[in-house]
Amino acid sequence: MVGERQHPLLSTLLRLPFYLLAVSVMIPYYWMATNAFKTIPEIVRNPPTWWVHTFTLDNFYNPGAAPGAPKDSAEFLGIFQIFANSGFGQFYLNSVLITLVTVVGSLLLASLVAYVLVKRPFPGSGVLFALLLGSMMIPWEVTIIPNFLTVRDLGWINSYQALILPGLAKAFAVFFFRQAILGIPDDLVDAARIDGAGELRIWWSVVLPMLRPALAAIAIPVMLGEWNNYLWPLLVINDDAHQTLPLALGKLAGNLTYDPRGAGPMMAASFLVSLPMVIVFLLFQRQFVQGLSSGATKG
Amino acid sequence: MTNHAPARVQNAAPPAPYRRAHPARRFLTQHAPALGLTLPFLILFALFGIWPVLRSLYLSFTDYDAISTPTLIGTANYSTLLADPRFVKALTNTATYMVGTSLLSTALGLLLALVFGGQRLSDQIMRACFFLPSVAGGVGLISVFKWLFSSEDFGLINTLRQWLSLDPVRFLGSPMYAVPILIALGVWGLMGYNMILFVAGLRSIPGDIYEAAAIDGANPTQRFWRITLPLLRPTLLFVLVTSMIGAFQEFFSFYFLFSDTSNVGGILDSGLSLVVYLYDLGFRHLQMGMASALAWILFLMLFALTLLNLKLGRINDID
Repeated sequence: MVGERQHPLLSTLLRLPFYLLAVSVMIPYYWMATNAFKTIPEIVRNPPTWWVHTFTLDNFYNPGAAPGAPKDSAEFLGIFQIFANSGFGQFYLNSVLITLVTVVGSLLLASLVAYVLVKRPFPGSGVLFALLLGSMMIPWEVTIIPNFLTVRDLGWINSYQALILPGLAKAFAVFFFRQAILGIPDDLVDAARIDGAGELRIWWSVVLPMLRPALAAIAIPVMLGEWNNYLWPLLVINDDAHQTLPLALGKLAGNLTYDPRGAGPMMAASFLVSLPMVIVFLLFQRQFVQGLSSGATKG
Repeated sequence: MTNHAPARVQNAAPPAPYRRAHPARRFLTQHAPALGLTLPFLILFALFGIWPVLRSLYLSFTDYDAISTPTLIGTANYSTLLADPRFVKALTNTATYMVGTSLLSTALGLLLALVFGGQRLSDQIMRACFFLPSVAGGVGLISVFKWLFSSEDFGLINTLRQWLSLDPVRFLGSPMYAVPILIALGVWGLMGYNMILFVAGLRSIPGDIYEAAAIDGANPTQRFWRITLPLLRPTLLFVLVTSMIGAFQEFFSFYFLFSDTSNVGGILDSGLSLVVYLYDLGFRHLQMGMASALAWILFLMLFALTLLNLKLGRINDID
C-alpha cells in the first residue's frame, strides 16, 4: 500500500492477484497483435495457439490473392486488398488528418478565446462565458440531430468539413485554458502591449508558450475522442473516400460473423488502428498522466 | 492610424478617451481587434453549439421525419417515450450498465492505486498496463472482443471454458449475458483511467498524517478508513460521477457488439442503450422529434447526476 512498509514476501503475495489481473487486461492486445501475423488456419485452430507458429504478413497484403477475388477462393484477401477501390491507406490518412486538424484547430481557437476573455474582455464577454459554461452541461446527444440536419442542409454530407467543423469549438477547452491564463500575470501581457505587440502576437508568443501543460492536458482527450469517434462519421459519411478507420473497422467486423477468414485482416486492421494510440501513449505517458490528474486532484 | 494604436493607449493609460468619437465608433476601435480574434470560434460555437440546442428543444415537441416540415404536437413525444417498452428496456440496460461499470471501475481503480501507487519501476509498469486500455482500447479492440466472446470454435473464452470442462456459452447470442459482457468491457477500459486519478488523489494526502496516526497506534485498516478514505472523498466523488456520466452516454460498445445491418439492440433489445435507441429512432426510423425528446430526457438525467454530485460535494465541504 502507498506509504506503508511491508514484509517483501507479504507484499508480493498481496500483489499476486493483481499481477494476474494485469495479465488478463493485456490478453486482448496480445491476442490481437499475435493473430494479426498468424495464418488464417492457425487463427481458427482449436485449441488456439499462444504464439505465432507461421509468421505471415498475408493479413495485411496477400500476394497470392488477386484483388477482388471471389469470397470462396482458397486465398483470402489482406486488409489493403479488401478495400482496394478506396483503400485502407486512404482511411488511415483520413483519420490522421481529421484528428490532427481537430486537435490543433480546437486548441488554437479555444486558447485564443480564453486569452481574450481574461486579458482583453469586451462588453458581453461575461455573457459569452456564461453561455460556454452552460453549454458544457448539455450532453452531445442533444446536439447530434440538429447538427446532422445543419450539415445536410449545407450540402456537407460526405465531406471533410462535416467531420471537422462541428467539433472545432470546444467549450470545455476554453474553460480549462481560462483557468490557466488567470495564472499569467497581467504585467507580462501589458509589457508586451507597451512593446507594441498586437493581440494576436501576444497570444502566440507570450500566452501559448506558457500554456504548454494545459495544451497537452486538453490535446489528449480531444485526440482520443476524435480517433475513436464512430457515431458522427457514421451519420455524415456514406461514401468510401471520406471514411475513417472506425467506420472501416465496423464494416469489416460485420463480415466476421459470416466468414472466419475475415478474422485475419480484421486483427491486422485492429492492430493498425490501435498502433498510433499505443505509440503516442508510450511517447507521452507523463503528459497523459499529468493531464488526467490536473482535473481530479482538486475535485 | 493603425488598428493597434488606440487599444495600446487605452490599456496602458486609464480609459479616459483622448479623442472625442461616436460611441459606436469608439466601441469598435476599442474592441474590434479582440472581437475579431474570437470570431471564428464564435461562429462555430453559435452554429454547432448553441443553435442545435434550441433547435433540438423545438424538435422534441414536434413530429418530424427529417424531410417534411415539423408539426408541433406538444409533449406527445415525451409521453410516448415514457410508455414505450423499448425506451424502458434501453433505460434499464443503461442504468444497470452505469451502476455496474462505475462502481466496479471505481472500486478496482482505488484498489489498484493503493497497490501500484508507488514510485518503483514495477509500479510504473503495472500502471501503464492497466492504463493502456483507456488509451488504445476504443474502436480497435472492440472487434477483438467480438472475437474473444465468439461461440465458434475459435472463441477464446469458450475454449478456456472447455479446458475447465465447462459447457460452451453463446455469450453474444444470449440476452442474459449482454449487459454483464458490456460491464466487463466498460470496467476493462475504465479502471486504469480511474486508477491514475486515484494515484494523483493519494499523492495529495500529506504523509505526516499517516506518521502521526502510526505513532498513535493506528493499524493499516484504521488508517485506511479514518484517514485515506475521508481525505480522498473529493477524488472519489469526482471519479464516481464522471464514470457514471460517461457510462450513461456509452454508445459504441453497445452498438458494435449488439447491432448489425438489420437489427439494432441485439436479441430482445438486450444490448440496447439510450444513445443506441436515440440513433435507431432518429436515423433509422427518421423520427427526429421523438429522438430529440429522448435526448432531452437523457439531459435531464445527466443533469440530476451533476446536481447530486454538487450536493454531495457541498456536504463534504461542511465536514
